[in-house]
Amino acid sequence: MALIEARSVSRNVATTAGKLQILSPLSLAIDAGEVVAIVGASGSGKSTLLSLLAGLDLPSTGDVIVDNVSLGDLDEEQRAILRGEKIGFIFQSFLLIQSLSALENVMLPAELAGSRNPEKQARELLEKVGLGERLTHYPNQLSGGEQQRVAIARAFIGEPQILFADEPTGNLDTETGSRIEELLFELNREFGTTLVIVTHDDSLAQRCDRVLRIAGGKLVEQGANTEAGAEEKSSAKGNLATGSKEATTDVA
Amino acid sequence: MWHKISWRLLKHELRRGELTIMAAAVALAVCAVLSLSVFSERLQLGLMERSAEFLAADRVLRSRGAEIPTEWLERAEQEQVAWARRTTFNSMAFANDELALVDVKAVSDGYPLRGHLEVASEPFTEGVIAEGLPGPGEAWVQGSLFQQLNLALGDRLEVGESEFLVTKVLSSEPDSGFNVFADSPTVLIHYSELAGTGLIQPGSRVNYNYLFAGSASDLASFENWLVPQLDDVSQRWQNIQDGDSPLSAALERAERFMLLASLLGVVLAATAVAVAAQRYAQRNFDAVAVMKTLGGRKGQVARIFTLHLLLLTSVSILIGLLLGIALQASVVGWVSGALGYDLPNTGVGPYWLAIATGLLCALMFSLYPLLRLLNVPPLRVLRRDLDASGLSRWLHWGISGTTIFALMVLYSGSYLLSLALFAGGLLAMFLLLGISRLFIRASRTAGMQAGSSWRLAMAGLQRRARENSMQMLSFSVAVMLFLLVLALRNELLEDWRGQLPDDAPNFFVVNVASQQAEPMQAMFAREGLSATELYPIIPGRLTAINGTPVRDAVSKEERDDSEFREGFGRELQLTWQADLPAENVLREGQWFAPGESGVSVESQVADRIGVGLGDELTFRIAADEFTVPVTSIRDVDWNTMQPNFYMVFSPNLIENMPATYIASFYLPDDRRPELYSLFREFPQASLIDVEDILAQVRDVISHVSLAITFVMVLVIGAGGLVLVAQVQATLEERQQELVILRTLGARSSLLTRAVTYEFVMLGALAGLIATIAMELSIYVLQTQVFNMAPSLHWRFWVLGPLLGATIVAALGWSVCWRLLRQQTGNLIRQLA
Repeated sequence: MALIEARSVSRNVATTAGKLQILSPLSLAIDAGEVVAIVGASGSGKSTLLSLLAGLDLPSTGDVIVDNVSLGDLDEEQRAILRGEKIGFIFQSFLLIQSLSALENVMLPAELAGSRNPEKQARELLEKVGLGERLTHYPNQLSGGEQQRVAIARAFIGEPQILFADEPTGNLDTETGSRIEELLFELNREFGTTLVIVTHDDSLAQRCDRVLRIAGGKLVEQGANTEAGAEEKSSAKGNLATGSKEATTDVA
Repeated sequence: MWHKISWRLLKHELRRGELTIMAAAVALAVCAVLSLSVFSERLQLGLMERSAEFLAADRVLRSRGAEIPTEWLERAEQEQVAWARRTTFNSMAFANDELALVDVKAVSDGYPLRGHLEVASEPFTEGVIAEGLPGPGEAWVQGSLFQQLNLALGDRLEVGESEFLVTKVLSSEPDSGFNVFADSPTVLIHYSELAGTGLIQPGSRVNYNYLFAGSASDLASFENWLVPQLDDVSQRWQNIQDGDSPLSAALERAERFMLLASLLGVVLAATAVAVAAQRYAQRNFDAVAVMKTLGGRKGQVARIFTLHLLLLTSVSILIGLLLGIALQASVVGWVSGALGYDLPNTGVGPYWLAIATGLLCALMFSLYPLLRLLNVPPLRVLRRDLDASGLSRWLHWGISGTTIFALMVLYSGSYLLSLALFAGGLLAMFLLLGISRLFIRASRTAGMQAGSSWRLAMAGLQRRARENSMQMLSFSVAVMLFLLVLALRNELLEDWRGQLPDDAPNFFVVNVASQQAEPMQAMFAREGLSATELYPIIPGRLTAINGTPVRDAVSKEERDDSEFREGFGRELQLTWQADLPAENVLREGQWFAPGESGVSVESQVADRIGVGLGDELTFRIAADEFTVPVTSIRDVDWNTMQPNFYMVFSPNLIENMPATYIASFYLPDDRRPELYSLFREFPQASLIDVEDILAQVRDVISHVSLAITFVMVLVIGAGGLVLVAQVQATLEERQQELVILRTLGARSSLLTRAVTYEFVMLGALAGLIATIAMELSIYVLQTQVFNMAPSLHWRFWVLGPLLGATIVAALGWSVCWRLLRQQTGNLIRQLA
């Protein structure tokens, strides 16, 4: 049974030149526990697809079903609740709240969901991502890699069923990026989350179970990637603490 | 949970200084309103107290011909209102075989309820504050009677059937007033001596005056009870603002100025809040999008940010209150020191007003930014260009407009004034917006030929034409209000100074016999005294208007009241002049042509008795009655120390009638001892010393000048804050661009120059627009609100653009410099 299902979804936007189709009708299904990469060039529509699958936006036609719930039947409030309960996010630009410390940023989703003891959980997660010493630091006191690790901790605090990652390593150098990848896959395995990664990085895509390739707003490939996925699953273990070596010298 | 989040956000944002402008704007609004209203209330109470000295009381009930019922005085006592009697009438007084007309003034214990009597041991010398009142059988007599009757202290003076021992020279009475014509020298006796004179008989022309003093609320309550019972013919209720006082005009203008300037100050502070709130909302767009993405519901987010705002507002209001208390205390201390007496305390009203202003400012002006903030879609996390959609700007204008109007009403207590100001402001704003866009468009060609920094600056100006015209609008408004308050303050001060120059006449001479008019004029010239012309005075009565008799105290009982027209009810001092008197301005009609017969009427009187050009007025002078047409209406400035007249006739009508003459002149202080000898050759003439009145007027004006200067400083503070808020907001918008240019290798100096030039241009244009707007507003204010002559302010045409350019550029430069001092990498991270 698919956890996420897109049925003939498309997305149009109105422009001064008329209607522009940024996503042609497509259908897909993602199973629970699956790790899927959405790949494509810049402007191909992969982020649009992610926004539809995550319920951040609604399709112009078709419907998205998440855990047997049709997103089209939900209003903005209900979708927010669904996201809070089932979905986690990681963004290319980290999107931490600048006025909150690392710990407070991680606690935020749990607090919004009314969780009883978010601080303990947040501390544990930050320990896990190697930032146990930087709990009270503010985003502008952290390096890019560290900010992304805070974002990862924040994504996992609600133990979401699904995690959407939009170019999670896009803003990071190769070395830091690969450490973040390791961390992401490791936590994903630990929590058994369904992971949907938007990336234009082929090597990252190769580590996923399946690759959905988008070009010009169309789904051109949704092949299984068993070999690469299997390799990934066996190799990335116990690398959680590697990120702590990241340089933080550029912090003002 | 959500309250923890909002508290945390606030704590960190306050610590990082992100909310400084917003908090400062709210605090300033609260501080300004509090200090202004406390100060102006205290000052007004002080002024009223001082001004009350002109009445010798807070209120006076004048009753002609009859005493008032004793229950009225009992009622005053019940209401905790103090009272005293002052009964006056004219009588002849005898001493040393000489005879003179005097003004007998019998006063009861407690008189004067406000101000002081001053007595001296020699006529026309400086007096000291008198203790108590004349004792049994004693009289205190004004200096000029010493001159007329060759009196000396210890002489006996007969008034009616009583004989009084002259024990003191009465050198100053608080309620001597300005009516120099009717003034005979005062003989002050105790009220208990009045009956003994035998002068109060049925039909005697006696003025019974009752003085009242007390707290504002007690007086108001007594007034509400008393006034409806008065017959409006012989009884009149009077306070300092009734227009009879030489100060009422100054007081009224000062009050209007304070009200207006404070309103402008509040509007400016509110504008600063609005600008800061918008910035605050924009900065939180991402936070809201993230919260919504992470499952935050709209209600939750709304609660978090509303509480956040409420907390911020409370902290700011508290700071504002503390600052306001400190500020007004120090200013009041300073002003009290300058004035030489303590200002009275005020109630809690201003505190509530300040809190209400803070709340209204903070909550209403952030409502629209807050609504926009809450409307930010979660999709913004992926598409950074998205912000709040679906909210009309009209909502913003609607909320802001309503709030400003509410603030105006709250502050002025007048719907009419608020509406006028609001409509004027709206009109000015649209005009300013239009002009700003025009200027920005016109500057395009100019910039194309300039060097690289200028070109960059021009490009910046052009690209953000829409935002810039809004910024320019707020710069202009801030500079304009600043200039307006500065110009108005100068106008008011100059106007007052012009009215009462240092050599304003301080003596009036009356009762000059016609054959002595020329010798007196010669004496003034010989002695180098600056004096007005000698005006003839002929007492007469207005008896009919267009054939309808006028109501008159004397004829009151002869006919049914409805058959009369409104008149004066007393004798008038009539004069004739071939030329329009100095300081008079013709409002309607023409001045007399040679040989023409007619009368020129003072404008306020013409309005009061309802006469216009061509109406026929009948006068009785001695036994003669004659009718003349009204040929002109004149405006007279009653605040000048000149002989002024309601009615001026053409010379041919009355020049042959017996007249006495009047003039006013300035005698320097050091020549006072010569007064006696100067006037020895004119024994019949009476001198009236108005130096004390002048001193009192000057004192009050210095008071008011201090007050309006203080108000001006606060308005400047509020204006400055708007500028800072606006510059900060605009630079934040420019941050990205600066970073890109910096990354591309632009040197800091080039960027700083470009930003500074852009702000120089913005500021100079704003200053120029502000000057134009200021001239227009000041014209309307001078002619409609302050009753002053309109004037142009050339200095401001230079000052305005210069000021705008300097302040705006300096602010822009300082913020930009701080931005460029940071590492480019850091800036990029902030933008991420």
